[in-house]
Amino acid sequence: MKNFIAGFLAGILVLIIGVLGYLRLGLLDARSDAAIPDWTARFLYSGIHASVRRTAPKLQNPLPQSDETLIAGGKLYLNDCVGCHGEPGKPPSDFGATFYPPAPQFPRVGTKYSEAEVFWVAKHGIRRTGMAAQGSSYSDPKLWSLAAFISSFPNLPPHVLEGIQQKSMK
Amino acid sequence: MNKFVFGFVAALIVLPIGGIAYFALGFSPIRADAKPSALETALLRSAVRASVRRSAAGVPSPPAANDDDVVAGGKLYVLGCQGCHGELGGAYQEDTDLYPAPPQLPHAGTQYSEPELYWIVKHGVRMTGMSAYGPFYSEKELWSLAAFLHRIDKLSPGMIEKIRAKKAR
Repeated sequence: MKNFIAGFLAGILVLIIGVLGYLRLGLLDARSDAAIPDWTARFLYSGIHASVRRTAPKLQNPLPQSDETLIAGGKLYLNDCVGCHGEPGKPPSDFGATFYPPAPQFPRVGTKYSEAEVFWVAKHGIRRTGMAAQGSSYSDPKLWSLAAFISSFPNLPPHVLEGIQQKSMK
Repeated sequence: MNKFVFGFVAALIVLPIGGIAYFALGFSPIRADAKPSALETALLRSAVRASVRRSAAGVPSPPAANDDDVVAGGKLYVLGCQGCHGELGGAYQEDTDLYPAPPQLPHAGTQYSEPELYWIVKHGVRMTGMSAYGPFYSEKELWSLAAFLHRIDKLSPGMIEKIRAKKAR
């Protein structure tokens, strides 16, 4: 048993030294413009989702489920999110693709996150990605309207899209 | 001795599985509006630096930059970089919304050489908010930006004025 423990500790030591050496020698590729392997992307996205599910309070969107809410969220989205996450009805964002992991293209793929989870992510951001916390820039009600809007992808009612575009042209 | 080997192998199996499970089950904190620990910062910053050194070793030496190149690079910075990396000539303001926080270059300067800066801007740094700008800037622009960034904390007030004045025009 003593030998087993000694071996176990030696294994831990070797692993730590191996990882530190790997990092210190610069063997970990730092480029963000390399294609992310499929399994890596799936692993990262599912771990992030699991953590958000665990952390985000399970709240109901306090705003009424109305076109006004969606349009308010959509205006915010068009102002501040399209650069990375893509504009509805347009090709995917080139800029969002230059991050590693890349920014999900909500207008095409929608999201698996609940509204409360979208709200939480928008407010607090996601570490070690390009997703910055928006809580210092936007009030909670604004972020809730954004959550409602993003959750409505990819089946955004056409009249909502029109409403957003009209208002944003003003 | 046999038991020692068993223990060794067990550690090599259990630790990675434990680490993967920890992340996959969502125990790893994910919010970006927190500060990385000093250990994490030191570890990852040195890993990025080492990786960039290694990768940029093959980048050719920069073309000799004159003041005009530095001003041109500065203009690009004002347009495209200062939102995250700090306003040129502005007060120090730490970014707390991204994790890790983008370095505030006008105040902190940079330890990277010009070829390394060229490489970073072109290819980005993965698992940070630094995306790759290769698709958006020409080679000439990338090099002028690198020349500017290399000097960013040592610019004369006259140069800063020149860079900012051109933007207002």
